[in-house]
Amino acid sequence: MMNWVFVILTAVGLIVFAVKGDGAGAMAALAAGTGGAVTLALELAGPFMLWSGLFKVAERAGLTEGLSKMMRKPLSLLMPDLGGAAAPVSLNLAANFFGLGNAATPFGIEAVKRLDRGDGRASDSMAMFIALNSSAVELLPTSVIAVRTACGSADPYSVVIPTFLASLAAAFAAIISAKLLGRVFK
Amino acid sequence: MKWASLAVPMLIVAILAYALVKKVNVYKAFLDGVGESVRSLMSLLPCLAAMLTAISVLKGSGALGFFTDLISPAAEKLGVKAPLVPLIALRPFSGSGSLAILKELLTEYGADSPVGREASVIVGSTETVFYTVSVYFGAVGVTKTRQAVPAAIISGLVGTAVGILLA
Repeated sequence: MMNWVFVILTAVGLIVFAVKGDGAGAMAALAAGTGGAVTLALELAGPFMLWSGLFKVAERAGLTEGLSKMMRKPLSLLMPDLGGAAAPVSLNLAANFFGLGNAATPFGIEAVKRLDRGDGRASDSMAMFIALNSSAVELLPTSVIAVRTACGSADPYSVVIPTFLASLAAAFAAIISAKLLGRVFK
Repeated sequence: MKWASLAVPMLIVAILAYALVKKVNVYKAFLDGVGESVRSLMSLLPCLAAMLTAISVLKGSGALGFFTDLISPAAEKLGVKAPLVPLIALRPFSGSGSLAILKELLTEYGADSPVGREASVIVGSTETVFYTVSVYFGAVGVTKTRQAVPAAIISGLVGTAVGILLA
C-alpha cells in the first residue's frame, strides 16, 4: 500500500511540475521534502527520548504491570494478539485523549515495536492500533481552540462537543473498517 | 490552570521516586530507554523522508490544487461547502498546513460562521493520517501495511462527514 501511495503521490506531483516546465521547482520540492524529514525527526527526538527514558524507568519499577493487567481485557477485544503491548497502547491512547501529543507518539512507537513480529507485515492488531491513532479522540482540541480565539470567535469552545462526537464517529469507523478490511488485505 | 500544568511534572517526580524506592537503577533505566528511542528514530528517518518528499512534490507542484478544483463540484453536490474542499484535501497530509488553511478560512468567513465552525470541527476531529502511518510503520520497518491505510482514510472521511453534520 505505501509502495503505491509513495509512487503515485510523487509521480503525479513531478508530472504536474513537468507540464508546467518547472524543473527547478521540482528539484527544490524534492529537496525540501527530505530536508523536512531531518527537521521533523529532530523535533520529534527531544520528547521521544524523554518519554522513552521515563517509560523504561516506570517499567523496571513495575508501574506498567498494573496498567497492563487493567487494560488487557478491554484492549484485547480490539487487538487479539496484544502481547506485551497493553501498557504502551493504553498510555498512547490516554496521552492522545488528554492532548499530550508529544508523549503520545513515543508510547505509540513503543506499542508498535511490541506488536511487531519482525516479518515486515502488519498484524491485525498493529493495523487496528494505527487506524485508531489516525482518528483523533481528544478531550480538548487545543490547537483549533487557539486558532479560533486568535481569529476573534465569540465562543471558541462551542466546537468542542461536535468535534468530540465527530472524532468518536471516526474512531468507531476506524475500528469497524480495520476489522472488516483485515479479511480483504491478506 | 496553574495546578493542571503541574500534574505531569509531579507525575514524573512520583515515578522517579517510586522507582528509587523499588531499588531500580533509575539512571541506567533512563539511559537504556533513551538509547532504544534513538535507534527507533534512525529507522524512522527514511520513512519520514519518503513521505515528506512525496507530499512536498504534490503540494509544491499545485497538483493538490488541481485535484481540489476537480472534486469541488462533486463535493458541493454532497453538501460540502466549496471553501472547505482544499482543507479536507490537505488534512491527511499536513497538520501545520491545515491549521494555516483553518486560519485563512476563519479570517475570511468568520470563526462563528457555518464555514468557520465546520472547518474547526474537521481539523479537530481528524488526524494527519499519512504522517501517523509513516511514523508508526517506519519505526518497525513494516512495509506490508495491509488494511491500516484504507481504514485510516475511511475513519478520516467519516470524521469529516459527521463533523460537517454536527458543526
